[in-house]
Amino acid sequence: MAQVMAQRFTGTPVKRAEDPRILTGRGRYVDDVTFPGMVHAAFVRSPLAHARVVSVDTSAAKAAPGVLAVYTGPEMEALIEPGPYGMAAMMNIWPPAHSLLATDKVRLVGDLVALVVAETRYLAEDAAELVEVEYDPLPAVMTAAQALDPESPLIFEDLGSNVLAGPKVTTYGDVDRVFARADRVVRATISQHRHQNVPMETRGAVVDYRKDSGEVEIWSANQGVALVATVLSARLGIPREKVRARAADVGGSFGLKIGAQREEVAIAAASRDLGRPVKWIEDRHEHLMAAGHAREETLEVEAAVTNDGDILGLKVGIVVDAGAYPGLGGMVTNIIEGMVPGPYKIDALSFSSTSVVTNKATYVAYRGPWAAETFVRERLVDLVARELGKDPLEIRRRNLARREDNRQMVTGRSLAGITAYESLEEVLGRIDLPAFRARQETARNEGRYLGFGVATYIEPAPGTRANGPLGAEQMRMELAEDGTVLVYTAQMPHGQSHETTLAQVVADNMGVPFEGVRILYGDSAVSPPGLTGGSRSATMAGGAALTTARLLRDKVLDVAAHLLEASRDDLRIENGSVLVAGVPARAMTLAEVVGALRQPGRLPEDVDTELKVENVYDGGTGGWSGGTHCAIVEVDLETGLVRIERYLVVEDCGEVINPAIVDGQIRGGVAQGIGAVLLERSAYDAEGNYLSSTFMDYLLPTSMEIPSIEVVHLEPVPLDPVVNFRGVGEGGMICTPAAVCNAIEDALAPFGVRVLEQHLPPARILELVGVIEPE
Amino acid sequence: MKLPPFAYFAPSTLEETLALLREHGDESKLLAGGQSLVPLLALRLARPSVLVDLGHVAGLDHLAAGEGSVTIGAMVTERRAERSEVVGAQLPLLAEAMPLIGHQAIRNRGTVGGSIAHADPSAELPAVAVALEAEMVAESAQRGRRTIPAESFFQGFFTTALEPDEVLVELRLPAGESRTGVAFEEAARRHGDFAMVGAAVVLRVESDRIADARIALAGVADTPLRRPEAERALRGEEVTAEAFEDAATAAARDLSPPSDLHGTAAYRRHLARVLVRRALVRAAQRLGVSP
Ligand SMILES: Cc1cc2nc3c(=O)[nH]c(=O)nc-3n(C[C@H](O)[C@H](O)[C@H](O)COP(=O)(O)OP(=O)(O)OC[C@H]3O[C@@H](n4cnc5c(N)ncnc54)[C@H](O)[C@@H]3O)c2cc1C
Repeated sequence: MAQVMAQRFTGTPVKRAEDPRILTGRGRYVDDVTFPGMVHAAFVRSPLAHARVVSVDTSAAKAAPGVLAVYTGPEMEALIEPGPYGMAAMMNIWPPAHSLLATDKVRLVGDLVALVVAETRYLAEDAAELVEVEYDPLPAVMTAAQALDPESPLIFEDLGSNVLAGPKVTTYGDVDRVFARADRVVRATISQHRHQNVPMETRGAVVDYRKDSGEVEIWSANQGVALVATVLSARLGIPREKVRARAADVGGSFGLKIGAQREEVAIAAASRDLGRPVKWIEDRHEHLMAAGHAREETLEVEAAVTNDGDILGLKVGIVVDAGAYPGLGGMVTNIIEGMVPGPYKIDALSFSSTSVVTNKATYVAYRGPWAAETFVRERLVDLVARELGKDPLEIRRRNLARREDNRQMVTGRSLAGITAYESLEEVLGRIDLPAFRARQETARNEGRYLGFGVATYIEPAPGTRANGPLGAEQMRMELAEDGTVLVYTAQMPHGQSHETTLAQVVADNMGVPFEGVRILYGDSAVSPPGLTGGSRSATMAGGAALTTARLLRDKVLDVAAHLLEASRDDLRIENGSVLVAGVPARAMTLAEVVGALRQPGRLPEDVDTELKVENVYDGGTGGWSGGTHCAIVEVDLETGLVRIERYLVVEDCGEVINPAIVDGQIRGGVAQGIGAVLLERSAYDAEGNYLSSTFMDYLLPTSMEIPSIEVVHLEPVPLDPVVNFRGVGEGGMICTPAAVCNAIEDALAPFGVRVLEQHLPPARILELVGVIEPE
Repeated sequence: MKLPPFAYFAPSTLEETLALLREHGDESKLLAGGQSLVPLLALRLARPSVLVDLGHVAGLDHLAAGEGSVTIGAMVTERRAERSEVVGAQLPLLAEAMPLIGHQAIRNRGTVGGSIAHADPSAELPAVAVALEAEMVAESAQRGRRTIPAESFFQGFFTTALEPDEVLVELRLPAGESRTGVAFEEAARRHGDFAMVGAAVVLRVESDRIADARIALAGVADTPLRRPEAERALRGEEVTAEAFEDAATAAARDLSPPSDLHGTAAYRRHLARVLVRRALVRAAQRLGVSP
């Protein structure tokens, strides 16, 4: 039934259903969950980056007040099955095999050595201090270069080297010919530094193993309960149906909290061993040190360009510092490879990649994990412009693919529907660039340095069908007794506002008020399997909500036609009631419809009276999100401090479900991107000591550092006949570092500075300009 | 990040407090606003076995102007000092530095005495105390009261002249004089962070010449640092950009500041020069004499 719905909620800034609860402190996070008889876990963590564990003496700790148990590595291994955990379990990355708690070696500062369970977390920490560990220190492998040095010690003996993946080389198009045709080749080595997700809520879990039934219930901060249950079932060796994984409010994640994590498996084993519910809440110190870090990559790039400014082809070589344990770091290069041409007309690419292990925290997914491609490409475009003496905007205009070109990336990805070019034009329509250049000139004469930078990106949100299946988003929907629409989603919201956005879509397509929809999630016993991640849920869950709601609506209309003795075509649902066209008096509320179905004989036998639907949405045509960011900055060349004067985002995420939520997602991502450039760095010293383990060292941006961020939405380009919502979770973070660095380089242009790194704290700015000597 | 075990006392008089310190000495720590001490306890970097809370002790929260000076009780919160009219009128340097300490929520709890006794070399108040040549009044059960000049109070990283059995009772700060301009300049990574470098300046100008100057730096050494050479260079000079630049260069000369994630030693040395110059210019502008 192709019927245009009245869109009452979709597209409007409906207030978040989550807010009253969360903003009044009534949210339920993991630490709010308690069980009778619950005890608390603390881990003994390695103070050394790389060492053999000679002995672990737990006797004093076991005798400490309130202690129930202390587990060493070998003791823990005896309680569990081997195998992956966390994101590695999703991607089935295993080996190199390793134990849950150290048996032979520790591989990073913060590595797990022993687990203490006690009556309170205080007592557990007191006892943890009494565990005596003897280490035999090994030299730490702290950089990718060291990891690649055959003389360096091996982090995993089984691996035979410190290379986790690669070297892998792939070429697309005729690279040699394109480089031969070029007037010149622009080369640069560009790096992204290690920084990290830092959600407000750290990781944590409460696990309750019931000896009576052999069932286990886990509450944890995660992005999808199904994978948590799968990992626990595999690692504990108990049937999947005996594991119930749950989550309520999750205070952010940005890619970190996927599957049951190492610590969570360990406390689950302890809960089974002790027959007591065990809680572990990661503290901030543990979190910053060992929860996982992101984005330490170095890219050597060469661009084949013509003197007119055409970028013909690229050679990219990437080395990823994947940290100590296998995870995303071993395979993120595949996504980077596929995405690196972005929205540009690039005819040839050679891409080589290597991932190495080092004695640092494990590489985890962080909002746009493949963002290295956008950073390096958008920096490179500016570098090409400088080398050719042209305006970076002109280079972008020349090289961006237009929608009507109907191209695909040289790596094979369809560019259907992209609006990168339009977004650039829209930015330029909103910034008076000649006026800025004049102001910049005047300021320079006064010793003040202003800079203007743009960066353009696209993100697969979820991507286009032309490149393969987009997934299968399951959803269940039913009408409750009171007429409320119950929506069982596979999403696990952790800041995405699904309780609001999905309800908006369902309300419109079902014909009920916003309040008449309940979004239910976070319980592996009832939620369809799935995961929230990768800027996918607007299309996938939004599309599932739209299509499933229409199926349920049709079912309701089928039965209502009988109940109301009216032609189905004359019926519609509005504001929670079934209305008959032209006969306002003959309406039935949805609650009345459900009630009528309970009365025997009201309907013919052959009518399906179960007002419940299960549906799988395949993503339809899919599509890209994308846009252009623009930053105007002022760099104080006496202090090196950067102030962001203006920040403008023009973006396209298709049809916007809730503009306030979309803007919030973008602004949050922009703040993280600004943080990455100006403040945030996960730093180690040469011996492997972690230097950023408190918020005095790992600096997050606050409202004082973040300017007001203007967001403009482009008119959506429909690709799919039905669903044109596209994801917006990652774009802010993907594009911002390049826009800010481009603006800073523009500000420093009088000094001939080239910005080849993403992190630009004030001291580094002054080093680049030559005001101070590098250390 | 849970506090290690300790015994907790909440005395209500200074006498009781001093008796507790006398009994427990080295093993004990005083708790004021807790803004520095509690994080150290949570990280288990400090592990006193006895904590003596000053929060209920009477007679430590006075703030009054006296003869040519202002007296501030150790337990006066940073926020109260910041908002005090007496401070605003008589201690413009302190008034200017106060809002630079952390955030309002921290200043609501953090105390003037706590900041001085904690002696973080990057902190604002110790630098102000040194620049103003303040006096610290300490008291112990056995030796009674004594007065310690700021110059000899700060002895090293988080180390002061206070003995383990002493309580810092109050600060005495010389009130502002006429024809004196002051300024506090700092550079921090973010609003509310400890300064990478801070510069406190007191400048007296008489008949168009600099009669006296005092310069103290934060964040460049293990204590707040007076810069006598730079001060001498200014005395008797006219208020000119060159004089200020030379003094700023002198103030930064021979510094060996720490290097950390927030800035290298070279960077801090550079900042010291920039901030001293900026502070001198602003202090002069306050007197209506622009270089
Ligand atoms: C996020 C954050 C940001 C901050 N930023 C800044 C900043 O930018 N600049 C800055 O200067 N400070 C900053 N601080 C520190 C703040 O100013 C502290 O409050 C102050 O340094 C200590 O004061 P307190 O009252 O909290 O002392 P406490 O933490 O209670 O005590 C600190 C130390 O002083 C001792 N002590 C306290 N009172 C006395 C006394 N009367 N006699 C003897 N010993 C005593 C204690 O035993 C302890 O060793 C910040 C703090 C935080 C948490």
